[in-house]
Amino acid sequence: MPAGLASLSSGNVRAVLERGFTVIRNQNWMILVSGFFEPVFYLLAMGVGMGMLVGQVEGPGGAPITYAAYIAPALLATSAMNGAIYDSTWNVFFKLRFAKLYQAMLQTSLGPLDVALGEIFMALFRGFIYALGFLGVLAAMGLVTSWWALAMVPVAVLIAFGFAALGMAVTSYLTSFQQMDLINFLMLPMFLFSATLYPITVYPEAVQWLVMAMPLWHGVELMRQLSVGHLTGATLVHVGYFLGMTVVGLWLTTVRLRALFLR
Amino acid sequence: MTEHPPTEPTAPDAAAATTPEPDATTLAYSGRIPPHTQMAEHARRFGWWYYAETYLRGMRAYAVPITFYAIGQPLLYLVAMGIGLAALVSGGVGTVDDVDYLTFVAPALLVSTVVMSVSGEMTYPVMSGFKWQRLYYGPAASPVSPGQIAVGHFTAVAIRFTLQSLVFWAVMQAFGASTQVLTSMLLVPIGVLSAMAFGALLQAYAATVKDEGFQFAFVQRFVVMPMFLFAGTFFPLTVMPLYLQWIGWISPVWHGTQLARVASYGAEVEPWLMAVHLVFLLACIVGGLLAGVRVYRRRLGA
Repeated sequence: MPAGLASLSSGNVRAVLERGFTVIRNQNWMILVSGFFEPVFYLLAMGVGMGMLVGQVEGPGGAPITYAAYIAPALLATSAMNGAIYDSTWNVFFKLRFAKLYQAMLQTSLGPLDVALGEIFMALFRGFIYALGFLGVLAAMGLVTSWWALAMVPVAVLIAFGFAALGMAVTSYLTSFQQMDLINFLMLPMFLFSATLYPITVYPEAVQWLVMAMPLWHGVELMRQLSVGHLTGATLVHVGYFLGMTVVGLWLTTVRLRALFLR
Repeated sequence: MTEHPPTEPTAPDAAAATTPEPDATTLAYSGRIPPHTQMAEHARRFGWWYYAETYLRGMRAYAVPITFYAIGQPLLYLVAMGIGLAALVSGGVGTVDDVDYLTFVAPALLVSTVVMSVSGEMTYPVMSGFKWQRLYYGPAASPVSPGQIAVGHFTAVAIRFTLQSLVFWAVMQAFGASTQVLTSMLLVPIGVLSAMAFGALLQAYAATVKDEGFQFAFVQRFVVMPMFLFAGTFFPLTVMPLYLQWIGWISPVWHGTQLARVASYGAEVEPWLMAVHLVFLLACIVGGLLAGVRVYRRRLGA
């Protein structure tokens, strides 16, 4: 291990994970599991009900697909985002400001990078479970038409990684519950406008650029392309976006935790 | 009781002269506070309003997020659903219920977003009154009765959502989303009625919850969310298969939405059915409040 990293990590992420799994096992597995139903309800309501009004829409590559098949990948991307954001903002905020959990952890040999990676991994685990379950539902409803759809699971984890890393970094700046509402103010419009329920071409061009700058749009596009197996150069751009977001988020989180606790 | 001549001369100041009650306490002689017997009588009669006032004043702590929501939510939903999603609908079936999609969805969005927001005021704040901040116990120790506390909490929340419905209605008009501007003003009372129908039931339930666990998260996930999605907000209930339609029938959102559509663009709903919708909502409110008062009374020990 490089010398610079030694002050950030003791290489014992496992201890943080062990605690995370113990909490899930003992306390909140019901909440965790029930989160799976949210995208499924959306899919049923919007896919079946709205599908009757909308009919077929243009999928990636121009081929017509059913409305349910159109929104399903978007809902998977959204659920990956939601899971990761809740875990890395509300959860982290509570542990940071009220439970003082990280303070306790950092009193031990654990370094800030261990804590950051451990917490983010827990968010990813949740995203992974949801993605797996949701893909099963899609397959059962006959909404996936390509083997590429299998890649939606690791991609959901990548999306969750990006959001979790950045979410935790942002949370470290917040000090009160009122400020936490800012996160909702960002997430609802992002969900409503990121080509989740309809294509962004209905907006003026300036708005389209704004939407394309948002991370969820990249996640939605990426998932949609995978669901039908239509991959282009843009696919790499979307993947790159999340890789970049992950790196920046991780770096920022580590720096912030170090600043908060080691001074 | 009149054989106490010294009592009156011992309070010779001007305030005493203006005090209507001769048997008032010393505090009352200052003229600023009514005598405690009178205050107790007021509290016995208007306690529900005193509690509502306290709760409304407490809302000032989060006035900024409330304002953001009140204005932001209608804007976001109307743009996203009424304009974005509408583009897909007009490419599909064209119009819904003989009106364009924005007109169809807007009154339903008003009802369902207001109903959804009410869950924020009727879950954790209720529990907090009993358990965390224990705000209910102070008033309960005064002549204000537990039932009045329940009604007061309910009243304050109703007032908040009256304002929120009003803002939503105004934004709707700015979007030109009603064909009948005048009768569409009825959307405000309809929105509040639907919200409080669900709110009263939720309040009664929340008052029975003793431990913070998964209950409220489950309510959010398995009651509030399905109500938003399956209660005919985004599409007529009848396009759904029958095994999903019952979710609409039992949810205040659908009943409120039906009425709202009549008020907003003159949707064709048979008069007897409108009566059913109205009775359903009122029954929820009365039933919920009665149950709520009972639980509050039991739990606050009176």
